[in-house]
Amino acid sequence: MASVDSSSADVIVFSPKASKPPPATTVGVLGWFRENLFYSWFSTALTFASAYLIYITLAGLYQWGIADAVWDAESRRQCLDTSPHGACWAGIVTWFNAIIYGRFPDAEQWRINLGFIILFLWMAPLWFPRLKGKVGVGITLVLVYPFLAAYLFAGGERGWFMQFMVIFAITTFINTWLHIALSLITGRTLKEWIVGLTGFADKHERLHKYPNLGFTAIIFAIVFFILNDWSLLAVNTNLWGGLFLTLVIAGVAIVTALPGGIVLALGRRSHMPVVRISSIAFIELFRSVPLITVLFMAVTMMPLFLPPDVQLNKLVQVIIGVCLFAAAYMAEVVRGGLQAVPNGQYEAAKAMGLTYWKSMNLIILPQALKLMIPNIVGNFIGLLKDTTLVSIIGLYDMLGMLKATGQNPIWIGLHTEPLMFGAMVYFILCFAMSQYSQSLERKLKTTL
Amino acid sequence: MAAVIERKSGGSRSAFAKVVNDERNRSIFYQILVFGFIGWVIWYLFTNTSANLEARGMSSGFDFLGSTAGFSIAWSIIPYSPTDTYGYVYLVGIVNTLLVSLLAIALTTVLGFVIGVLRLSHNWLISTMAAWYVEIVRNTPLLLQILFWYLAVFSVLPRPKQSIDVAGLGIVQLNNRGLYFPEPQPGDLFWITMIAIVVAVVAVYFLAIWAKRRQLSTGERFPVFWTSLGILVGLPLVVYLLTGSPLTWSIPELKGFNFQGGTVLPPSFLALFIALVIYHASYIGENVRAGILSVSHGQTEASSSLGLKPGWTLRLIIIPQAMRAIMPPLISTWMTVVKNSSLAIAIGYPDLVSVYMQTSLNQSGHAIEIVAMVMLFYSTVSLTISGALNYYNERVQLKER
Repeated sequence: MASVDSSSADVIVFSPKASKPPPATTVGVLGWFRENLFYSWFSTALTFASAYLIYITLAGLYQWGIADAVWDAESRRQCLDTSPHGACWAGIVTWFNAIIYGRFPDAEQWRINLGFIILFLWMAPLWFPRLKGKVGVGITLVLVYPFLAAYLFAGGERGWFMQFMVIFAITTFINTWLHIALSLITGRTLKEWIVGLTGFADKHERLHKYPNLGFTAIIFAIVFFILNDWSLLAVNTNLWGGLFLTLVIAGVAIVTALPGGIVLALGRRSHMPVVRISSIAFIELFRSVPLITVLFMAVTMMPLFLPPDVQLNKLVQVIIGVCLFAAAYMAEVVRGGLQAVPNGQYEAAKAMGLTYWKSMNLIILPQALKLMIPNIVGNFIGLLKDTTLVSIIGLYDMLGMLKATGQNPIWIGLHTEPLMFGAMVYFILCFAMSQYSQSLERKLKTTL
Repeated sequence: MAAVIERKSGGSRSAFAKVVNDERNRSIFYQILVFGFIGWVIWYLFTNTSANLEARGMSSGFDFLGSTAGFSIAWSIIPYSPTDTYGYVYLVGIVNTLLVSLLAIALTTVLGFVIGVLRLSHNWLISTMAAWYVEIVRNTPLLLQILFWYLAVFSVLPRPKQSIDVAGLGIVQLNNRGLYFPEPQPGDLFWITMIAIVVAVVAVYFLAIWAKRRQLSTGERFPVFWTSLGILVGLPLVVYLLTGSPLTWSIPELKGFNFQGGTVLPPSFLALFIALVIYHASYIGENVRAGILSVSHGQTEASSSLGLKPGWTLRLIIIPQAMRAIMPPLISTWMTVVKNSSLAIAIGYPDLVSVYMQTSLNQSGHAIEIVAMVMLFYSTVSLTISGALNYYNERVQLKER
């Protein structure tokens, strides 16, 4: 206790006692447990009940999936004889290749791998920090890469257009990586290098594109001479399947859904009645019916809609159906973003004298899309999950192959394990996408 | 000087430019363009379709609705026989779709609210478990889950002889043919009990209005919930007993290899129903959680400083405000349930898409009419639901001044 002694001239300075440490039960691990798990008798009971639930679930899964599991067997019969209550992963091991590639010929599967490796290499620069020209990389990825991928996957004879596009795609890919390598090593872009080397640096900036075009033409010519006679075995699309087909359908749908959705959303907010009404009709029609009816329509009615000499294969029909469906859903997401952009932005853009398309491209859409990243990615996840529906109308996507595993005479009745495996693959893909979107959201700080 | 000359020489052009640059003219031009394009697409599809139909010798029109379907439907709640017409098949499909959708909507909403509340639990283990439930269920395709329930759970159940006795009383039996449970068989006087139920509902409705009016004028609260419960249960029960219990139950019994009596829900129904409930409950759970979090903490503090008990705070302050944020996504999830029930086709539950868009279409070949009818049904359902949603939104919208 601090007190003042009146007889002394010195004032006794107040000195508090050292504070006691907090009770051991409120800090550290123990405190955390008390606070979050055992703060009342009810909470304690819940904790024990759920801990028990988790324990029996995990223990059961471990017993079934690992302890009693059979990894090596010839048939389901043998699995059951070895361990009647364990998982039969041997079936998955045997069918693994089919689940990933479908019925794609074994000798040609390197083409799928190569296609996806090129895709990732092409996409990689988008994640590099401080790299110039990312927009260009992104645009060529969407517009040019699909031709290369289509040829790698389908193969066969190339028409002059396909020949041009495939070689152009390879040229672009080489250009992109030269650009990246130079930028990362020297900090100068490919364009600056070429301009410097050809002595165009002191010329007017408007002329700088010519050496670049020349460089591209040279690479194009080299690639052309190397690959002119190069051809791949044709693989019919009815052999496509597995995870590969799932990714192809989802990829095409994702790439077309965003531009389609933007156009429809802008149409829906247009002041022109004809444009607005037709956009609304399209969006509402596709949003109000289940995807499976759209797919049925695509396969049963598209042959009726088109002239008899136009024959589309089932995959193309399905992809058209999925794309229309995806665009309608994306339109509503984009519309949400457009509505979230404050009206002042529209007015300011107008006041600056920007035309409609300029104000959309430069002011409104960048903000709207940024705001909508979580929803857009959510939509993509939905699309990836929805591609499973193509298995109903007879395409062998991953789910189709998983079902086929249990219908195969050797592995007949093997359903639980393939579906568990498929669930894990889908979960990893979708969960990764949603985590990435959340990290992107945090990076761009766009919480509404 | 030069500028003046230039302007003079460009006189005729500027008149043209004036027309071209006028926003109204441009808008009309673009609209004509769009209209022309859509008209061309429709005309193109129409001519192709009629040419194709003619070439294949297919008739069009709705006459086929009156002809006999001739195929059997695995399970339906309204009686159906293969001699019925295609029009009746349409109805059977709609009823089956609505049955599974409505039951799934009811249970998924309850489960979703539970999940949402668990997600917000202070207990770390509970909220983490709920979060993982949501993540796992939302990140796997619904179709895969439906197939899992159907192929890995309900198809490997024991045969009828080794049925699982669900309730423990021997009256609800689960086996690989489905879920057997007692079926009520109303007697002669049961209609009086039905009338009593209707009377009870009407009485509760007016009681609620009266109680609210009394509270607004005098401030006194009336225990509406318990009184309503009493009326809803008590009145029909008294009438039922007074009329001599005119209701008997047909209880499923094992005879030979299968159950006789009672009623049965097939495995395909159970798998679809459970998968729909589990899948959509995770979405509703997230909506409920977001809705409750959207009510600012100041509201809770304000209500407790007014002296409201915690239970009242929840009921009178938090929930009404949270509902405003919960309802719109909740209703669109209901719509999704109706649409996703069409995945029934993958496991052979005879819903609208399965019996009509697949079997009937393959048999009759009337693709256009059938697809249009199916789409009409789903559009009607979703327009009705979204109309109800708009009405609700208008009523509960925060009136900002």
